[in-house]
Amino acid sequence: MAAARLLRAVAPRFRGLESLGKAAPRTSQLSSRLYGTLLAPEANPPADPNAINEKLITEPLKHSDFFNVKELFSLKDLFDARVHLGHKEGCRHRFMEPYIFGCRLEQDIIDLDQTVKHLQLALNFTAHVAYRKGIILFVSRNRQFGHLVEVTAKDCGEYAHTRYWQGGLLTNAHVQYGSGIRLPDLIIFISTLNNVFEPHVAVRDAAKMNIPTVGVVDTNCNPSIITYPIPGNDDSPLAVELYCKLFKMTITRAKNKRKQMEVLYGLQNKAESG
Amino acid sequence: MAGSRLEKLGTVFSRTRDLMRSGALAEAQKPLWFEVYAAFPPLREPVYREPRPRYGKVTDPIPPVLYPEDAVRAKFYEAYGNGPKAFELSQLNFKSTCQRFVEKFIELDKEGKTEPEKLFEETGNQLLAEGIILRRKGTANVAQQTLQKTKTSDLGLEMNLQTMFEAKERQQRKQDQEEEHLESADVQKENPLS
Repeated sequence: MAAARLLRAVAPRFRGLESLGKAAPRTSQLSSRLYGTLLAPEANPPADPNAINEKLITEPLKHSDFFNVKELFSLKDLFDARVHLGHKEGCRHRFMEPYIFGCRLEQDIIDLDQTVKHLQLALNFTAHVAYRKGIILFVSRNRQFGHLVEVTAKDCGEYAHTRYWQGGLLTNAHVQYGSGIRLPDLIIFISTLNNVFEPHVAVRDAAKMNIPTVGVVDTNCNPSIITYPIPGNDDSPLAVELYCKLFKMTITRAKNKRKQMEVLYGLQNKAESG
Repeated sequence: MAGSRLEKLGTVFSRTRDLMRSGALAEAQKPLWFEVYAAFPPLREPVYREPRPRYGKVTDPIPPVLYPEDAVRAKFYEAYGNGPKAFELSQLNFKSTCQRFVEKFIELDKEGKTEPEKLFEETGNQLLAEGIILRRKGTANVAQQTLQKTKTSDLGLEMNLQTMFEAKERQQRKQDQEEEHLESADVQKENPLS
């Protein structure tokens, strides 16, 4: 019966033949053999959840800016938040030179055109990871903004670590926390340096554990191992507030989009089967 | 789950991709971010680089950021010090005295009526006409009166201090003299006794 209904829905022009099929069981077998290909549509939504999941997950990757992160900020916003201000010439890290625009009275000025591109890539990546229900960890050892980072993480529904980083947190997690622990899928650094102006241990540990990182790198930081660096100021309160705001907006946007898409695909699934 | 902890060799992506290629990681164990990275790679591959200092002749690759107005600004600060008005950094469109000076200077330069040597003084005079008093540091040229006033007030203070010192000295001298008198009196008294 279900098969007949499906045939009606999929191939309405075979209505006449359908009645033939209903008339006698022998003829239905004949029709099923003759029109064997017609039965293929029935097998089309195979294991429903799997197919839906596939589409749900691969669909956003086809668009260049699925979550429209470009509209979240502009170059002027970055300038007003003093993101372009770097440290003095003596503190400059060698690998930050390509991202620096110039040096005004011994203070480095970061090139905001490059920062815009890097920030878009980074926000896009975080959005996709959040869309796929990845665990995101915010890390910052800057005591001035520790609370702000923790509040941001809480509002997103993600996690933050702004205290002393114990040596084996990522590399020895299975011993410290028991087996079956799930490590973060993305680590976001609001400041990549620790309190002695050395690279934070988590940068190296994340690279060791094959976890991608997004990080705000100032002119005295090493951007080599960070997967998606964002050259910018990490010391001004306005700048850090801007970053926290942007990350929170992207992550909530991505999660809401996921719920939307699930509902959409759920409805589609119901429409197909019903 | 297989992993590769060699952070100095290749990138996170290259190591995971190669683990899957070799079969150490099954397709089902593919990490969440793998496809996202493949679709949106970063602008630079995050390969580890050893941070070594430069050797030999070191040329600074970063250009200095200088504008033609900076020459005017340098002259202004040399002549007038920090300027009469303090900077208000909380306002985004704040115009300092120096900035107004520079703009006036450029305006006069464009007009071309004044000679280049006299431009500096001319801008100072024009700003004075607008109501901004520029106090030169060191030489007393413009606004001599205000300088003199401050000098007299300083003198006044000094005078007070001087008078205080003198008064104290007089007091001390008086005390010493009194002591001497007493001593001499004692001595005189002693003498007749002896």
